[in-house]
Amino acid sequence: MSEISKDLHTEHMVINMGPSHPVTHGTVKFLATLEGETIIDLDVEIGYLHRGFEKMCENSTWQQVIPYTDRLNYVSPLINNTGYALAVEKLLGIDVPERCKYLRVIACELSRLSDHLTNVAAAGLELGAFTAFLYFVEARELVWDLIEALCGARVTVNYIRIGGLKNDLPERFEEKVKYTFKEVRRLWKDVDKLLTKNRIFIDRVRGVGAISAEEAIAYGFTGPCLRACGVPYDVRKAQPYLVYDRMDFEVPIGETGDNYDKYLVRMEEIQQSMRIVEQALAQMPDGPINVRMPQVRMEPKEKIYSRIDSLIYHFKTVIEGIKPPPGEVYLAVEGGNGELGFYLVSDGSGKPYKCRVRPPCFALTAAMPRLVKGRLLADIVPTFDMINMIGGECDR
Amino acid sequence: MSTTTGLGQSPYSVQVGVPAAVLKAKKVRRRLDLTLWEKLYVAEIVRGLVITSKHFFINMLGFIFPPAGKKRKVFTVYYPEEKLTLPSAYRGRPVLVAHADGSEKCVACGLCEKMCPAHAISIVAAEKAPGERYPARYTLDLGRCVYCGYCEEVCPKEAIVMSDEYQGLAQGDRNLLRFQKEQLLRPEGKVKTRLYFVRRIYSKWNY
Amino acid sequence: MLADLIESLAKIVFIFTVNVGVFAPILGWVERKQSAVMQDRIGANRADILGFTAIGLFHSLADAVKLLTKEDFVPANANKFFHTLAPFIALVPAISAFAIIPFGGRYELFGREINLVIADLDVGILYVFALAGLATYGTVLAGWSSRSNWSLLGGLRASAQMLSYEVAMGLSIIGIIIVYGSLRLTDIGAAQENFFRWGIFLQPVGFIIYMTCAIAENKRIPFDIPEAESELVAGYFTEYSGMKFVMFWMAEFLEMVTISAIVTTLFFGAWHIPFVTDAMLLSWFSGFAGPNGAAALAMAVNIAVFFAKVSFFIWLQMTIRWTLPRFRYDQVMRMCWKMLLPLSLINLSITGLVVLLL
Repeated sequence: MSEISKDLHTEHMVINMGPSHPVTHGTVKFLATLEGETIIDLDVEIGYLHRGFEKMCENSTWQQVIPYTDRLNYVSPLINNTGYALAVEKLLGIDVPERCKYLRVIACELSRLSDHLTNVAAAGLELGAFTAFLYFVEARELVWDLIEALCGARVTVNYIRIGGLKNDLPERFEEKVKYTFKEVRRLWKDVDKLLTKNRIFIDRVRGVGAISAEEAIAYGFTGPCLRACGVPYDVRKAQPYLVYDRMDFEVPIGETGDNYDKYLVRMEEIQQSMRIVEQALAQMPDGPINVRMPQVRMEPKEKIYSRIDSLIYHFKTVIEGIKPPPGEVYLAVEGGNGELGFYLVSDGSGKPYKCRVRPPCFALTAAMPRLVKGRLLADIVPTFDMINMIGGECDR
Repeated sequence: MSTTTGLGQSPYSVQVGVPAAVLKAKKVRRRLDLTLWEKLYVAEIVRGLVITSKHFFINMLGFIFPPAGKKRKVFTVYYPEEKLTLPSAYRGRPVLVAHADGSEKCVACGLCEKMCPAHAISIVAAEKAPGERYPARYTLDLGRCVYCGYCEEVCPKEAIVMSDEYQGLAQGDRNLLRFQKEQLLRPEGKVKTRLYFVRRIYSKWNY
Repeated sequence: MLADLIESLAKIVFIFTVNVGVFAPILGWVERKQSAVMQDRIGANRADILGFTAIGLFHSLADAVKLLTKEDFVPANANKFFHTLAPFIALVPAISAFAIIPFGGRYELFGREINLVIADLDVGILYVFALAGLATYGTVLAGWSSRSNWSLLGGLRASAQMLSYEVAMGLSIIGIIIVYGSLRLTDIGAAQENFFRWGIFLQPVGFIIYMTCAIAENKRIPFDIPEAESELVAGYFTEYSGMKFVMFWMAEFLEMVTISAIVTTLFFGAWHIPFVTDAMLLSWFSGFAGPNGAAALAMAVNIAVFFAKVSFFIWLQMTIRWTLPRFRYDQVMRMCWKMLLPLSLINLSITGLVVLLL
């Protein structure tokens, strides 16, 4: 036997998966070395969606960065908005009004909802369950309808402002939320029945892409992928920001950190996010949504139209930008994929001296070779889906 | 389904540093072993088929007997023939507001040009009469515009608003997307609802 | 002699029209529309002739025009001969497999006995397996000759999968052959006149195994690993375009029709209506149509019943395709060799034992 195999000429097959390949939907390239169907080596190349976000920020005023942050994790733009605004507010040392905090929580959770719906849907699509994909995309469309009514756009929201918000809740928002959540829960049940207990799906995801908690922490995992390993780390609980400490919600955790756990954690977080939105809507106080600081957030339009001091402040903040005191700050929020951190340095001018983003999926993507090495080619699919690498965030 | 556990024995709960009562960790792993029934594929496949068939027949029925107030049961609309009603917050193409005599409200202060995060606006200011500025040229490059709505937010004269126009934004030539003042001007009556909306959302109502 | 020739030709033309002319294009439409309605969508409806869309039916026409006029692209390093040959090898068995499937019984019409099957072969079902074996070559050749890594992997997967499932498929049918004591499909069809003698009641396990294997042979979800688009782009036909692509596509649809027809013939009473025997049908119609008219009417009813059953199984296959996720390569093989094969062997021995004892 060994004699024969010595004579047989075999060589490894090197294939380029991506950057435009159905599975690499974050625009990434895998350089996979295959022995038959087994992956013996995998190289991940990122950077195909690099737009120079951090450099661009250095040439914009503090307010102008907010539309750029929409394009980080484009499935959950409101969380990016919030993270950036909170970081700048920390730098400025200001606190936003109560109602604004609740509205931001609602916005963040709607975004998280759409992020997880997209992720689970895409995983279903990649594994061939096209119907589950479209049920969740339908649910996501409904959530995006809510976001559109709130912010004026579905994806590029530009809603959160430094020191406040663009606008208050639209009319009859609570009714719409009630209707949407009823539909989302119905579709959630259908997808749950289609996938969660389906043995074909379980066989594809269970035991694949498993990683121990120690290793996950060493890699820098956060978010659903870390929670799937059994570590109940959630920024919303560990360092509560906004009013998350007043919300009653559970942190879903898995056991082995495989793709099935990641899937289940996300499915459960969809439910928890809806709970949080409902609680926030019920508890929300009345009151202002913007800070009363003309050097940070513009004053009401009537004042700008009629009073010269307001007009001067308005012109100064727009043209020169908000001027936070010199210093540096790091603030993390729980993004769709994990800890989304903003590290900002101010030199006292109207533009950020440095705006660094800690993208949650960079660490996750870095672990890709570790997760799939020695497994079959087809295992790249669910593993990469559950990592939920978003090019806009990872490459910036 | 699952139980709420304190995870007291796990060393990580210490690292996370949140009391178990607040943390409320919830194990989602529903079970480890499949029952024989589930292992046989057929039962779950039939269940899946029942769900999709249910959607199929309900939607088919919805095509034949549309529910009240709707054209059909399903979610999709035939786009060019049917259009969704846009929420009042919707941000479409930015347009300039014109006075009743057709001249623009804009006084070429340059705030929108300065604020625009995509650098899509460029203004050449001139004077009509001494002390009365107006934009001699107002170019909005819709190939760059990101529809963020900052121009509308910062405008001190209600001269530029986000309309609900979203059609005709695709062109074969980038130069055709560079809209001049004349193409952007809309009579005030046409953007009245948006002007009212803008006045409301950036008004005292917020504070 | 001439009458025989005309009869055969008429049957061939009929089957060809139904399969290639009606089923193949309409199934493209059905697949789009059915999946759309299942998934809360509307589905393809944009192709129109003079503003008339016919609920999207013209898309098949538009597809045909588009694909016929598309460039026939052969990759630079591909083996041109085999690259061109492969789609033919895939398509021809799919079309010709229908030759032995009876779409109606025997009728006495103007003194001639008409048997509604193109070729009433003694070996019947074996012919289907032989052709299915040939179809494997089309896939494998396509994968190998394209000179693309994706195609090669797809071809490798296809060869392993199709060869393995043929074994289990063959064994699952033997139960039916034992029960009815014939390889000839017309005999098997005729034996199912009694509703309680339908194959599904005598061989329920055989039906499930056959259906599974047949879908696997046809490479549709959940067994579409040779073309798994999220892993292998499009698998063995990644490098095909235009007319050659259409041939693979049509082969898949025609095979779906063939599978449904075989399932109908073997397990679901072929052309029979439950609780209605051929004699009853004839006697009802002869009351007002005379003997020849009655035979013609019975023939029409039986053909309609047969194709209605076929349509139901096509619908079932499509629902399965749009509901389930796909397997992994090793799981497909494990399922075949470790589940379906032993199961069909057990089914076979129990069937043999029962038949022997009775």
